[in-house]
Amino acid sequence: MISRVAVTGLGCVTALGGDVSATWEGLLAGRTARGPITAIPVGGCRVTEGAQADLTDWPGYTQRELGRFSRASRLALPAVREALAGAGLLDAEGRCVLDRLEMVVSTTACGMEKGEGFLKSVWAGDFREQPARVARYQAQQQIAEIQRHFGFDGPATMIANACAGGGNAIGHALDLLRAGEVGPVLAGGYEALCELVFTGFDSMQSLAPEACRPFDVNRNGLMLGEGAAFLVLEREESARSRGARVLGYVAGYGSTTDTGHLTQPAQDGGPLEQAVRTALEQAGLSPSRVGYLNAHGTGTPLNDGAEAAVLARVFGGGPTRISSTKAALGHTLGAAGAIEAILTLQALQTGCLPPQIHLQTPEPVIADMLAGMDEQVSIEAAMSVNLGFGGSNAALLFLRA
Amino acid sequence: MSWSVLSYGVVSPGGMGVDALSRPWLPTATQSADGTRRHTTFLVDREAPDLKRSQREPRLRRASPLSSYLLEAARQALEAAPGVDRKKTGVVASLFLGCLVYSIRFYRQLTEDGRRFASPLLFPETVFNSPLSHVVTTLGLGGPVYSQVGDTSSWATALRTADCWLTNGSAEHVLVLGAEEFEPHALDAFHAAGFFRKPTAVSEGAGALLLSREGPGVALMGVADGYAFHSRNAANGAATRCLRNFSEEIPILDTAVGWTRTIKIPPDRPVVENLVANPCLAGTAAFAWDTILAAEILKNSATPKSLVIPYWGHTHQCAAAHLARP
Repeated sequence: MISRVAVTGLGCVTALGGDVSATWEGLLAGRTARGPITAIPVGGCRVTEGAQADLTDWPGYTQRELGRFSRASRLALPAVREALAGAGLLDAEGRCVLDRLEMVVSTTACGMEKGEGFLKSVWAGDFREQPARVARYQAQQQIAEIQRHFGFDGPATMIANACAGGGNAIGHALDLLRAGEVGPVLAGGYEALCELVFTGFDSMQSLAPEACRPFDVNRNGLMLGEGAAFLVLEREESARSRGARVLGYVAGYGSTTDTGHLTQPAQDGGPLEQAVRTALEQAGLSPSRVGYLNAHGTGTPLNDGAEAAVLARVFGGGPTRISSTKAALGHTLGAAGAIEAILTLQALQTGCLPPQIHLQTPEPVIADMLAGMDEQVSIEAAMSVNLGFGGSNAALLFLRA
Repeated sequence: MSWSVLSYGVVSPGGMGVDALSRPWLPTATQSADGTRRHTTFLVDREAPDLKRSQREPRLRRASPLSSYLLEAARQALEAAPGVDRKKTGVVASLFLGCLVYSIRFYRQLTEDGRRFASPLLFPETVFNSPLSHVVTTLGLGGPVYSQVGDTSSWATALRTADCWLTNGSAEHVLVLGAEEFEPHALDAFHAAGFFRKPTAVSEGAGALLLSREGPGVALMGVADGYAFHSRNAANGAATRCLRNFSEEIPILDTAVGWTRTIKIPPDRPVVENLVANPCLAGTAAFAWDTILAAEILKNSATPKSLVIPYWGHTHQCAAAHLARP
């Protein structure tokens, strides 16, 4: 008999706040984090706004030392701390009580601004900071900084399945625990704004020049954001035996690859639907049991059209309430699935639903399913779905504790 | 864990197929991007017919060299195992450098020409999982698909992912891929990272290992992953902890290159000299090749019957795998 997989710790940093409660309060209040981008150079781009997070100081580090960290590490470290502390895995000195802790983490750009700085230094013939820039760029360096700071090691799987990677990371953690992994798994994702990726989306004219409007018929693009989110997953008996508080369960995971186009989903959303139905089947639930669904909802015409079609087919006529939180937090790419998983769990725990903000003329097929302000319901199951470049799809199903 | 190694695929500077790993490769002296030094490199012939044929696929006309390496290695492995149901085959790729060629080209273009003139066609090909998306589409694979990044040793993490899928039944077969593409800026980065303090040739290419829940021959028996080190001095301890996962009687294949040659294998453990003709730093591809060569040794020789293949990462962690002949 496969044990249930419990969630015992949550932590996040988003453009709405430096932890889960600040992010959640901002979302429920209907705020958006959209503002001018100042952390990276965006001059010359068609769009120069997005959802930029505030970096917090880190106890025990000087500003000079903090300056050496990649922006990605500055976002990830506080999120990891909140998740481990919530799971009861930190000692009084803030070190992890476990010597080895498995990690599954998603990112698309690693510590990219360090890599960009390295390239510019090569072109300028400036050799002074090159070793430090190289050392802080790659994804394993952010993992190493987390491991070093909290004092553990262990396997670290870094999934780079683009914007679905955060969902894949949590799903893979679930798979590892089901396959026999005994200890807790720290799963999540991080993403920092960087020039290459911001300019890339701008070049594709994917960025919304004004407010991001997921599932609105007049939607015209996404808002890029940044952030980090981590969850502690473990077998239920492990959580119970050490007295950890169970915040919810991960009960289903579906992942598929849409092979139609590198950057566009199939118009009917067929592969996404397959991922959603797989997650439901794993959990043994019918769609009518899902009370809330955190949609990918980037605000781009093609994504939201395909996704709305799937959600209407699978959940239409039922009680499922839907919203995309990217209108408020921005699209955080590799971190999105992890941030949205946390928000889905928050909805399960509290019954409060993040509203679909910036909605003027809803996409007709799901118009009556989109959550409004101040909605509160009692739900037993909730889902989070993500799509990404390369055709990656991920669907996660959570149960209330 | 006991997963059958059904077949392999190799893209290397010596050509296609496993035999190319045992031939001497033609070295070239390649200038770093800053123009200040030259390093020995072994480079894949990107005009080779086996690689060019992938560009006949409409979707692959603009794809990176990395995409064609991955596709060719995967294709070889699948063609060598014709009975495999591709719809039940998962694929996991491990990448140390990722889409280097297009990422640097895209960034240079936006830096020099201005952000307004960045290419919307180039950008999607810079994304880590684009190459594997091309592979899955072209070969019609229907199982789970992960692109994984990290240290050179992330090849071991990919093997663990395959183990997870085969254990859970998410896939009947899993293609495990390691691949890297060369770009001269890598020489500048490796120099800055101190990789050239020991003489090291740099290379590129891909390796594919097709694992199956059932089958004859050599099997993957175990993977030890995640022994981190925060300095090169600490790597010996990480390697020792890693090797404790395997019986002391199992011989260890010597796979170290560059600075990882300073990592000491405990003196009481038997060591088998690696037969790789061209020791080089080729990231995850090199560890894929080492694993394939180990499988060949086990398949073709009376002894040993079992081998541990160390994956001493260059930047983060030590890992290893255990292959055996039943």
